[in-house]
Parts: sequence; structure tokens; C-alpha cells
Amino acid sequence: MSAIEDVVRELSRLPGIGPKTATRLTHSLMRGPKEECLRLARALTSLAERIRPCAQCGNFGEEELCSICRDPDRDAALLCVVEGAFEVASIEGTGQFPGRFHVLGGRLSPLDGVGPDELNVASLLARIRDSNDAVREVILATSPSVEGEATAVYLEGVIRPLGPKVTRLARGIPMGSDLEYVDGSTLVEALAGRREM
Amino acid sequence: MALTRLRLQDFRNLDRQDLQVPPEGFALIGDNAQGKSNLLEAVYYLETFRSFRGAADRELVAFGETVFRVQADLGREGGEGEVRSVSAAYDRSSRRKKVMVDSREVSRIGDGLGRLGAVIFSPEDVALISEGPGGRRRFLDILLSLNDPGYLEHLQRFRHALQARNALLKQGPGGGDLVAWDELLTRHGAEVLSRRMRWAIQYAPLFRGHYGAVSGGEEAWMEYRCTAGPNPSAPRAEDGNAPSPSAPPVQELTRRFREALDAAWERDRQRGWTTVGPHRDDLYMGMGEPGETTSLRSFGSGGQRRTAALALRLVEGECLRRSRDRRPMILMDDVFAELDEGRSQRLLELLEGPGLGQALITAPKDSEIRLRRDTLPRWRIRYGRVES
Repeated sequence: MSAIEDVVRELSRLPGIGPKTATRLTHSLMRGPKEECLRLARALTSLAERIRPCAQCGNFGEEELCSICRDPDRDAALLCVVEGAFEVASIEGTGQFPGRFHVLGGRLSPLDGVGPDELNVASLLARIRDSNDAVREVILATSPSVEGEATAVYLEGVIRPLGPKVTRLARGIPMGSDLEYVDGSTLVEALAGRREM
Repeated sequence: MALTRLRLQDFRNLDRQDLQVPPEGFALIGDNAQGKSNLLEAVYYLETFRSFRGAADRELVAFGETVFRVQADLGREGGEGEVRSVSAAYDRSSRRKKVMVDSREVSRIGDGLGRLGAVIFSPEDVALISEGPGGRRRFLDILLSLNDPGYLEHLQRFRHALQARNALLKQGPGGGDLVAWDELLTRHGAEVLSRRMRWAIQYAPLFRGHYGAVSGGEEAWMEYRCTAGPNPSAPRAEDGNAPSPSAPPVQELTRRFREALDAAWERDRQRGWTTVGPHRDDLYMGMGEPGETTSLRSFGSGGQRRTAALALRLVEGECLRRSRDRRPMILMDDVFAELDEGRSQRLLELLEGPGLGQALITAPKDSEIRLRRDTLPRWRIRYGRVES
């Protein structure tokens, strides 16, 4: 197995990258300066060695607790539950969410053998319970797919008895789109979720 | 919509051909096994992107070839913003299907459905009546996916939730999170139920009327029968004074479905699958005087079942006409051969009315072309080649 084939094979394991793209990326790396290639290698090494899941929320960080959990200015009353760390990055990117996160590590999917025990649900419930009512609202930000919805319904059922308000991300018309181009079912959701001005 | 040009490539026994289709349609004449039905199958493929005969896509590719392609150019029957072309191609080696509307690939096949606005009548339709409820549910699902916005998405979500719930049931006890799936199942299942019920109630009188017209005065009726929840009775009273039934609101259906799931819980758990719900329902067909319940499926004669199947297709055509506000294209595959003279004549009278659009029909002999006998251009087909 040559070094080239090694890299192609490893790259093509990544989501969204097929053998062709992997080959193209590998050739691009070979054509470029050697230093560029090594810089990528070092970055990957430190990613593998230094990043670990946060002991509290499951987000990725470099220490016992991630930077969000360590930040004393984050609002402890608001807890946003997401499927993966990628969604944390998306929501953080908006700069509009002052609360904290909890990463489930997936969503309920009986066909894939994923039940509540396979997700970070116990740690979520413990976190809410141990906060002594400091968590006042839990925002369920799982995806609007069937599995994401079922996950949200399940979580709502187990969180509500613990006291906090449980909310769900709104669904409807995307920003910047024209009503003319919105499909029927999205419009129905948007109508159902309308709010007073 | 009217077909103006049809291009084919390696669809079953039809090789590469490019056909200009007259606005009134055509009558395709040819011996058995020359490709008459294949041509209609190819056209209707552009409506639903699957074979109306239930064949898998790979079986539609000509023997020894890897790709089939069907493309239709459509003429306007009025109305701005209508689609000009639809095409579909399937590659057997990569198992990839490509659907294009107006030369642009659609991201989901559901977005391309129903662009022809066609109804197909075929001798195999009799299976709709004579076989189990599955075929009738499929009929409803296709019809409503094409004509009721949002139906397909609810149906897909319902099926998804059903699969998940069944997987949990198979895993046995300890699946305490069944509740979450029940919520999804009932939410989308009730939407499916509600739309199917509304349809059945709305079109029940028309079905009865068409059946009576074709059969020459016999009675038949249809109603939607639920395994989970209420069964609205079909309007059967002759006097017209009976309160017209209506489908219960979705919230009510959700509640009833949930109760039915709870009641069936023990049985579902034992069997390892969900035994009540829209996936077990029937569009029931009965015959006889009002009040009698004689199943067409069990007791209908061959001719009665064929008549019911025709009535159902005529209802489909009317549904299409109402939801698109234009005349449906009619595809008829050798339908008259199966009917006695009286029924043929009365069906013809219904079909010659102004409500139907372009007609593509097939028959083995010119003498059996009865619909629009004097106006339809005759085309011939031999060994899969059409001579127009």
C-alpha cells in the first residue's frame, strides 16, 4: 500500500468525500509545498491528542470542561439540547444564544439500535436535577426529521416533571426566501406556528 | 396537459424513438406482445416515476442495456407557468434515477410527481377490486400524493415512525420510549387518515354514479374503513335528506388513533408489529341496495369488479380535473376487450363527454378502437417500433 493510496483511503472515509475527491485532495497536497502538508499533519495530530468531550455537556473542548461550560457569563437558566457538537458550533456562530448546551450524541433511532441509553440523556436529567431549579428553560433543538421529532417528544416527557419550561425550535419559512417558493408542508408549519405582532 | 412529443430510449422493448404526438392523441394498434402496454407504461412513468404495473425500475431497462430514458414535451392547455417538459432516466448499473422537470433535475422525486395529469385504465386494474386492501391503499396513496399537498410528506413520516415503532416492538419489553414514537405515529397517521377519509366521503357519490352508469343501473358504493378510530358511513340514502357525513377533525382522529394503539398494545407487543392504523385500513367496496353489505371483492362477478375498477379510475380522473383545473390525459390499455357490449357502450358515452383531454389508447385491432373512433389518428406498433 503506497503512501498516496493510504491518504486517499483515509480521506475518503470522511463524510461527503468520495474516492475521486479524495484523490484530488491528495494530489493537491502533493503538488503544494511540503511544509503545507506537514502543517495539516500537525494540526490533525493535535486534534486527535488534545480534543475530548466536555465532562458536563458533551461538547468538544480541550479541558475537563469546554469553554462554554467554563464561561461564568453564560446564562445557566437556559439549556439548549442538540444532537451533536456541530450544532453547538452553528448556534454559537449566531452569537445570539446566551445560555448553555447539552450534546446528546445522536437521536433516537430504534432501527439503528439507538435508544435513550445510547444517548447522553441520563447526564442531561442529572444536570437539570442537580442545578436546583437554576435551569428554567430547556430548548429542544433536535432536527425536524422523524427521529429528531421523536427524540424531542421523548425528552419533553422526561424533562417536564423535573420543573423547567420545555420549548422547541420554531419551524417555518427560511429567512430571505419568498413565500412563492416555500413548499406546502413548510407553509402549514409556519401558519400553525404564527405569532402575534 | 397534452403530450406534444415523446422520446424513448431502451424502455422495455421500445428502443430509441422520437414521436410527435397530435393534440387529440392517438390509437395504437398492434398484435399482442409488440409493446402497446409498454408505451403507455413509459408515458405514465412520467406521472409517478414508477411502473404502473408494479415492475421494479431495473426490469424496465431493455434487455442488454443499462439505461432507459423517457422524455415528454408538454403543450399548454391554457394557464401560465405550466411545465414544458418532464423526463426520467434510470441507470441499472448505479441504480440511479434521474428526474428532470423543465430540463432541471429535481432534488426530491416527490417534487416532480403528477406533471402530466394523466389517468391510466388497464385490464390489470381489476386487481384493485379483487385483491386485498393493500392495492386500494396504494391507489389512495398515489392519488392523494398527486393531488393533496402535504399528503406525501405525512405519509412518509408516518411510515418512518411505524418502522421505528415496529423495531422497538420486536426488541421486546423494556422499550419504554414507545411513547415518543406513538406521538409521531398518531400525529402523522391522523393526517393521513383525515385526508383519506375526506377523499372517500367527497367522491363516494361520484363512484356510485359512475358504477351505476356503466353497469346500467346496478348499485355499488365505497367507504373508508379504519382499523383505528371511527368509520364514517358512506352516503347511501337515496332521498338525499340524510345528513352528509364528514370526516372527524384531525385532533379527534389523533385521539382515537392513540386509544386504538393503547388498546392493541398487548397484541402489538406479542406479534412484534403495529396491528392498527392507516397501514391496515381499507377503501371498502360494496354492492347491492343501500344497507346491504356485500363485498365486491368477495362476491362481485368478473364484470362487476371490472366495472368498479373503471368507476374508480373515472373518479380519479375527476379528482385530477378538480385539483388541477384542467382536463386529464387518458391512457387506456385495451380496456373495451374485457367488457360486454352494454357496458362498453355506456362507458363510451361517459368517456366521450367533454371532461377528458388527450387520449392515448391501445387495441389489438382497428375495429376495437371505439373511443373517439372517427377522430383519433391510427398508429401501428411492431416489435417495439411505432409507425405514426
